[in-house]
Amino acid sequence: MLVAQELSYRIGNRYLLHPLNLVVQPGERVALLGANGAGKSTLLSCISGDVRHYGGQIWMASHDLARCPRTYRARHLAVMPQKVELAFPFTAHQVVLMGRAPHGDEKTTLHWQQQVMELTQVWHLRDRPYSRLSGGEQQRVQLARVLLQIWDATSVRADGEYYLLLDECTSALDPAHQHTVMNAVSQLCQHHIGILAVMHDVALAASWADRVMLLKDGRMIASGNVDLLTDSSLMEQCYDLPEELASQYARSNRNWLESRHL
Amino acid sequence: MNDTTLNSPRWSWPRLTGLQQWLRQPVCVIGILVLGLLIVSLLALMQGPVALSSVDVLQSLWATISGAEISSAGDWVVRELRLPRVLLALLVGAGLAVAGVATQGVFRNPLADPGLIGVSSGAALAAVAVIVLKDTWLQEWSQLTGPLALPIAAFLGGLVVTMMMYRLGTWGGQTHIATLLLAGVAINVLAGAATGVLTYMADDQQLRTMTFWSMGSLAYGKWDEIQVLGLLIGLPMLLCLRLVRPLNALLMGENVANHLGFDVQHTKRWLLGMAALMVGSGVAVAGMIGFIGLVVPHLLRLMIGPDHRLLLPLSALAGGLLLLVADTLARTWMPPSDLPVGLMMALIGGPVFLLLLMQQVRGKG
Repeated sequence: MLVAQELSYRIGNRYLLHPLNLVVQPGERVALLGANGAGKSTLLSCISGDVRHYGGQIWMASHDLARCPRTYRARHLAVMPQKVELAFPFTAHQVVLMGRAPHGDEKTTLHWQQQVMELTQVWHLRDRPYSRLSGGEQQRVQLARVLLQIWDATSVRADGEYYLLLDECTSALDPAHQHTVMNAVSQLCQHHIGILAVMHDVALAASWADRVMLLKDGRMIASGNVDLLTDSSLMEQCYDLPEELASQYARSNRNWLESRHL
Repeated sequence: MNDTTLNSPRWSWPRLTGLQQWLRQPVCVIGILVLGLLIVSLLALMQGPVALSSVDVLQSLWATISGAEISSAGDWVVRELRLPRVLLALLVGAGLAVAGVATQGVFRNPLADPGLIGVSSGAALAAVAVIVLKDTWLQEWSQLTGPLALPIAAFLGGLVVTMMMYRLGTWGGQTHIATLLLAGVAINVLAGAATGVLTYMADDQQLRTMTFWSMGSLAYGKWDEIQVLGLLIGLPMLLCLRLVRPLNALLMGENVANHLGFDVQHTKRWLLGMAALMVGSGVAVAGMIGFIGLVVPHLLRLMIGPDHRLLLPLSALAGGLLLLVADTLARTWMPPSDLPVGLMMALIGGPVFLLLLMQQVRGKG
């Protein structure tokens, strides 16, 4: 389990994140939603270790993330940032390869590299310079890198629990690619990888997540089954939407949820 | 619009596709570099006011290795004048090139050359201050550190500037290259002015030394300096070699390197410190020699790509080779005068810098 206990973060006296609790089970897809500036990315950076001076504790399996060895964390927890820019002419394949850096086995995992790059549909771009790819292609390359980092989970080498953090990883993708990518990510859940995704697009969350957490002004206002997204008063509160719009969103979310069972 | 930008590379190696492919093979690049080093070293040992044959040179080299006494004037020229100078060029060039690779990696930009961002001039200023003020204000310093006064001062000067540039040019894990370069201009101007003030305080002998400093020259290479320099450049280089993996990850950003399990602060601190040490000790012996850290990594990246596992060691080879070529040209071009090699390098490096700058501006625009 990935557990945050009484996790908080503040700069000076201003809380960006009020103390909250969070649990991600292995194999679970959790979407983190909220308006801009609600603290979603801050929460994610606490877990990913970008932010160090947070209050409370974060546990992965039985390891305190603040104290466990770097390599252990890197081998079991992968993070997909919003955007990665490169001023140097690495090819897409070289970028993906860096996902194996914590393991040091770039040469012996060629089949995995092809597997993840085909999964995110970037295998045909492998020899192109990363910086010349479009925004969406770059995001898919980064996703392949991140998946490769914890791909051990899908093999007999799996040892312990694996987690994936996604920070609005579909923001530059068109709807078709958004769903392809999220489906690809979902396949990981079959291998008991727990996924925590910051999401911008409520509809995408409704079509994908098992559970959702709603943040507002650094506080967790609701957490539970994805059905929560069909509650129009909650949508209204979370995003400060007018009643009319909130109920429309709730309706469309219900449609998405129903279409999942078809 | 996309089609045209995709189909016309901004700038690339001349269109010789077969040769280009062949040139990109690492083995081939290594072969060319090693072969080049051997040939140019031999030529450098043969050329000069006293022309020597390759046989003489090889005999002298063998005598040096076996530790025999100096037997003739030609032997002396090779062993006491030219060989130290060749080794000095190789060491300083390798150090500057690797320092360039390291700073460019940490600042995440191919333009971040130690010379351009003011590290070299900071080191030179500290060195000049030691020369001029060693009998007055800095007496205690020169007594305390003895023969190492100059290299240590240069290292500290370089380190101070490096740290300052890091504070100035980087925030939130992002380097702003425009700020960095402009701050570098400011530092260069400041250090130049301070050096200018020092020239008014210097006597004749000091002035002559300083002129060589500001233009860069390898003419003062002696065996003693080479031994110290071998240590001060060799060790940092080995340390940088150990950090190539985190350096690769660092190119994608500090957060990503952290997610990949690397200790980002540790890596940056060591790389910048070692770069300052290599630049500082190079400056202490040979003065200001610019652009090696810019030209060498750039050309190598075009051939073998940006992977530091290959780029860093090959930069050491290519940096040594380039400085050796420049120095040999500088001292044989207009005999009997010995042009400062720093001027040669500026002539070679200036255009490459402009090219790179245009490439970046167009790439962004």
